[in-house]
Amino acid sequence: MRLLKIGLLVGALVAPLLASAVRAEPVTLDFWVAWDPTQADAKAAIGQIAEFEKTHPNIKIKTQTIAFDALHDKLTASVAAGQAPDLSWGLVEWLGELNRMNALADLTPCAAKWPERDNIYPNALQALTVDGKLLALPNYLGLRGLLYHEGQLKQAGVAAPPKTWAELIEAAQKIKQATGKFGFGIAGRGVRSPQELLMYLAQNDVEVAKRQSDGKYKNDWADNPGEMKHATEVFAFYRQMLDKNVIAPQAAGWGWEEEDTNFSLGQYAMVIDGAWMSGRAEQNPESMKDVRVVPPPAGLKSATFFEINPFFVYKSKHPEETWEFASFMLSHAFQSAVNPNRSPRTDVQGDEIWGKPFTSLTPIGVSFPPVALGSITRDMEESIGRVLLKNEEPASVAAWLGKAVNKSLRQTGEISTQ
Amino acid sequence: MAAVEHAVMAQPASESRRAARRQDHVRRIAILFLAPAAAFLLVLIAYPLCNVLWVSFRYANLVDPTTTGFAGFDNYATILSDEEFAPALWHTFTWTAFSVAGEYALGLTAAIALAQPIRGRAIFRGIVVVPWVIPIAIAGLNWIWLLNPDYGLINAWMVRLGLIAHPRDWLGGIDTALLAVTFVNVWRSFPFYTISLLAALQAVPRELHEAAAMDGAGPIRRFFVITMPHLKAVSLTLIFLHIIWTAINFDFMWVMTAGGPLNSSQTMPVMIYKYAMQDHDVGAACALASMSMGFMVTIFFAYYYGVRRKGAR
Repeated sequence: MRLLKIGLLVGALVAPLLASAVRAEPVTLDFWVAWDPTQADAKAAIGQIAEFEKTHPNIKIKTQTIAFDALHDKLTASVAAGQAPDLSWGLVEWLGELNRMNALADLTPCAAKWPERDNIYPNALQALTVDGKLLALPNYLGLRGLLYHEGQLKQAGVAAPPKTWAELIEAAQKIKQATGKFGFGIAGRGVRSPQELLMYLAQNDVEVAKRQSDGKYKNDWADNPGEMKHATEVFAFYRQMLDKNVIAPQAAGWGWEEEDTNFSLGQYAMVIDGAWMSGRAEQNPESMKDVRVVPPPAGLKSATFFEINPFFVYKSKHPEETWEFASFMLSHAFQSAVNPNRSPRTDVQGDEIWGKPFTSLTPIGVSFPPVALGSITRDMEESIGRVLLKNEEPASVAAWLGKAVNKSLRQTGEISTQ
Repeated sequence: MAAVEHAVMAQPASESRRAARRQDHVRRIAILFLAPAAAFLLVLIAYPLCNVLWVSFRYANLVDPTTTGFAGFDNYATILSDEEFAPALWHTFTWTAFSVAGEYALGLTAAIALAQPIRGRAIFRGIVVVPWVIPIAIAGLNWIWLLNPDYGLINAWMVRLGLIAHPRDWLGGIDTALLAVTFVNVWRSFPFYTISLLAALQAVPRELHEAAAMDGAGPIRRFFVITMPHLKAVSLTLIFLHIIWTAINFDFMWVMTAGGPLNSSQTMPVMIYKYAMQDHDVGAACALASMSMGFMVTIFFAYYYGVRRKGAR
């Protein structure tokens, strides 16, 4: 009897502990984002995440908002310290670096069983695949079109938006003469400037780093006079835009915020930009009401920057829950609510102004090579400054950039010896 | 008698033993109280410093885990052969010299003005501190907008006052970016000088000024002969502290220009950051940081031994 009483007492004391062990704590996933919480897409995403947590009581999502410019450095430092989040926003330019750091989870097995896979644009997934391994998932597509204020073009007597570089310069000069406003805008610094440069290089049939037969990369402009000539022409085009008053002199110092803000306020007529400008249209309905979208002007060929903004999924303590949440963010419900105009899903098309004109550019989209891009993009940004601010010769800038790219590839161990 | 003498001699001996034990006890208590501070210094200052020095002699890359090994002086050679090193050194010198000079001049002027018996003096003394209490990142972002060529107030006012014909991109110009950030740094830091110099000014005996005035000395002569000598000690301390604080300052430069455009405002702290976080070359970044530390230590010892020598005289 005494033993029974002791046994019951011990059981009563231990039972709550066992119960709490069985009743699993919800898993908390750290999700670093770079959205603007005041914008519609962020509000929709927050609402969708709340719905996900209701339907998945074992998973809690802890979001942290960090500006894009700061997100890269914070991610690099965190990964190096072994403190990476479970998922994050990012730029496709960071894929090579994070892969080199061995930070990303291999999503290939999960994606193979994923029923929604066929609803994602194949080249969006391909751009996030390195050596046969899917290392990230597409968050939204940032295809770039030529946005223009129809009213300013009409005022200048420009019948149709430009289709080539030469037409762009001519149209911009007419606009400046007729309206007093500059015809075009560029980003001379920040994350967007190397993206724009990559696009112009692609339009002139040049690659900043080519994959060689040994699987590594190299800039071969110095070995290939044709490539060097085409690269030089791109920098000459930048110089022409400044000399012929196509762009404002201060555009050499614009980041993406100045570029987008000034265009949305009607400060200049045309810009290469993305579907996120629909948010600006909501904020500035008057000045953005005459905006139309067409393919960017072509150089030797048509091309545009294919920005596949990824979700990076890191090697996590909770891989199943992380995949559950990541795949939820690519569901039809989430994408329709959050990214209706720039979804990587083929069955989310978007409207006639901010959706289809951009997604139709998918076939001509180009992306950065999947190498560690840290100093390559910085060198690309500097090359624009050399042409526009230091007034260096386009040929010497092209030669400098070619060498700088190879130096960077050498430092990260990714240069081809062929 | 002998017993009494023995007792008397034993007393000082026992007292000295007690005194020695008390001293030991006090020493142990002192060590106990100093231990947290010592641990803090060791863990948060000594260890990172030694680690930086150690890594400066090794190969280390943030994205390439296979980059390891002893580098010798390779990292230092990488820095010295970088074409941006000499300009960064010159920019650091320019930024430091102009900042400290501007802060001192403005701080002294403000301190002298605030030392005058004017109405509302207490309110002005409160207002003058405002630039210093605003976080650097917030101040930097605000000044980016103020200096913006398209929307900034500074350009608008300067054009309206006829000081410039057209708005200028102060932070986007190769010739103006560094000086623009220096100006903002002076605005931000001069209150520290003002407070310190104001306190020193209040300690200057009024009778000296009165006596000098009676002897016919004008205000300027009194300032240089009476006031400045009293401010010398405080001034030297402020200047040397700010030389070091300004030379290693990263925040303003990074927030406002990130060392651009085209490295025209790149200082050594910005260069260290870029080596580590953009080039991922942690070894070279540590080498540059060690060199920077060497410069600062040299300046400190020059000041320290100069003051000591003066004290000895």
